[in-house]
Amino acid sequence: MFVVAVILAGTVWSRLAYWQVAQHGRLASAAQAQYREFVELPALRGAIFDRNLTQLVVNTTVYSAFVSPDQVKPDDRDRVATALATALGVDRSKVMKTLASSAKFAYISRRVAKAKADQLRALKLPGVGLQEETQRSYLPGIAGGTTLAANLLGFVDWNGNGNYGLEGKYQKALAGTPGYISSYRDLANREIVLGTHTHQNPANGLDLVTTLDANIQYAAEQALADGVKRDNAESGSVLIMDPATGGIVAWADYPSYNANDFNHTDPALFKDNVVSYVYEPGSVMKVVTLSGAINAGAIAPGTVINDPGVLSVGGYRIYDWDRRNHGNVDFTYVLAHSLNVGAMKAMLAEGHAAFYNNLQAFGLTQPSGVDVAGENCLLPPKADQMSDSQYATASFGQGIDVNMVQMLGAINVVANGGKYAPPHIVERVGTQVNPVVLQPERQAVTAATAAKMTEMMKQVVQHGSGWTSRIRGFELDQAGKTGTSQIPVNGEYTQDVWTSFVGFLPAQHPKFTMLVVIRKPHYPGSDRDWTLNDGYMTAEPIWKTIAQTIIVDWHITPDPQ
Amino acid sequence: MAGTVAAERLRLNRFGHAYVGLGAVVIALLFYLALAAQITQASYDITRLQDQQRQLVAEQDQLRYQEVTLHAPAQVQQQAAQSGMQRVVPNTYVAGQPVAIDLTAPVGASPTDTTPLWLRAVAMVVNTVGGTRDVLAASKH
Repeated sequence: MFVVAVILAGTVWSRLAYWQVAQHGRLASAAQAQYREFVELPALRGAIFDRNLTQLVVNTTVYSAFVSPDQVKPDDRDRVATALATALGVDRSKVMKTLASSAKFAYISRRVAKAKADQLRALKLPGVGLQEETQRSYLPGIAGGTTLAANLLGFVDWNGNGNYGLEGKYQKALAGTPGYISSYRDLANREIVLGTHTHQNPANGLDLVTTLDANIQYAAEQALADGVKRDNAESGSVLIMDPATGGIVAWADYPSYNANDFNHTDPALFKDNVVSYVYEPGSVMKVVTLSGAINAGAIAPGTVINDPGVLSVGGYRIYDWDRRNHGNVDFTYVLAHSLNVGAMKAMLAEGHAAFYNNLQAFGLTQPSGVDVAGENCLLPPKADQMSDSQYATASFGQGIDVNMVQMLGAINVVANGGKYAPPHIVERVGTQVNPVVLQPERQAVTAATAAKMTEMMKQVVQHGSGWTSRIRGFELDQAGKTGTSQIPVNGEYTQDVWTSFVGFLPAQHPKFTMLVVIRKPHYPGSDRDWTLNDGYMTAEPIWKTIAQTIIVDWHITPDPQ
Repeated sequence: MAGTVAAERLRLNRFGHAYVGLGAVVIALLFYLALAAQITQASYDITRLQDQQRQLVAEQDQLRYQEVTLHAPAQVQQQAAQSGMQRVVPNTYVAGQPVAIDLTAPVGASPTDTTPLWLRAVAMVVNTVGGTRDVLAASKH
């Protein structure tokens, strides 16, 4: 009898020990989950401003409408479905189907505007609720349903994660840290005020102040869109920089997209061609090549060379663009008329090692480091791994790949008295100045070299291929260089081209440096005369239009001659 | 006799104390309940006000977006165009001196080829014999 009692008692005790000791943690947390509530307090995402403190993106509240079908009586379904269809513009039959299902929760419409939500709230429909959500609202861009600087700013998805551009790059700073409230709830799910609370306030995201100018950005987008359409091109981009600081003034892509409607956008449009697309810069590179050779003392703007129109290098015969014998010409003429042979001779005069060092000094052998997500670059091989022909073609911008930020940063050296200013877009994060802004600028070439190159680039506008960019009043005071290069596909050059124009003004005291790149233009009439696809016909007019806007907006006057 | 009466009074007083104590506890309990009810009511008010505040913040955000949009370059340009205004590019910026170049002239011609004929012929022969290959120098202007 005693033994039976002990066995029974032992069974009960061991079961009790199992529930109260072994399973204590699980049961305690399960119980706590029923009456304890943990509410996340979302942090307010930081705003983004331009240089004039124009807000480029605003946080707005939107509402997601949902139903709990099990709380809608069968008699009410028809009324509820009709009201939802009327207020939100959703398909009534679909709502009816949802209401007839056994689901406990279903979204009817996501992220509707406040006006519609208010309308719905006033109807007091049974089983229908509204969930608040924060949305980033971007400024309208040019006509066609785009938003301003969409490719530069990126967008924030429905989970609050920044994608692409500044939203992606500065996600951590912009998003902040959410807080929380931990409290007890009663059976009616109301907070028990006298219970214990834990409360942590959210740390809101930091605001970004950029170097962008919204007005110039808009003008650039408009001129670019018009230009790309006129040129029947695949796409185009514009990048404008403050020469003295490296701050980006405008960053435009076409085609672009509507960041307010990113979920209905072709993801291919999210790619930012300014920083993610690499291309062969063509003759714009001659500015770098000749600057380096002048800086090394190997040539001078007036040095005369013979240009028979072709040069044999590394077993290849490399021609000038026009395949003509130009005879004896100086390097100013070489740049103005964009002669490949002249560029190669300048490179050979300074030597391979010095040329490669020059590429490094101009920032073309490393990423630009610009503070925008998704920088892509194809760095050149190491100096000792480049063949003679690679050096030769690189001297006039073929066989070497850059992105637009790298290229404009390099040309900006000339506009900035020989100093390399690191390209950047954000000036301040919260109250902190972006460390890039405080970095000392690197002297890539001497100020004298930069001045000589500026004079040579002025000649490009006055007497060379830059003539279509001339702005009335600045004819003697603007510097520029065109570039056109064929697009390689599977190792073979095709007839499609990248065209570009880079320039700055006033030449002696530049207020901006601008690079325009057009991809695969098919200018009207180019099927008969392929030279119409060149930079001077496609990229230059866009440059000129934007420059005229900047001149007016920034009150720029030419330097006295 | 007098002692008995006093003892009786004392007993009564003992009950009286108990009643007083009980009364105090009841009053304290009532006070606590009233306070708790008030706090609970206040918490409901806070929740209601928080809802209201959220609504107002949402409205404020909406207004801010409207304000920012009104100042957006796209909107400004659209309104300017509706009012018949358009951006004008100034014809001149400074009282200019005569420009030293002929701006209407096309890109200048190349200088005359001064390479002697015999050198060109030699180059052609050398290139042919040397078997160098053609590469399309694609960098035009």
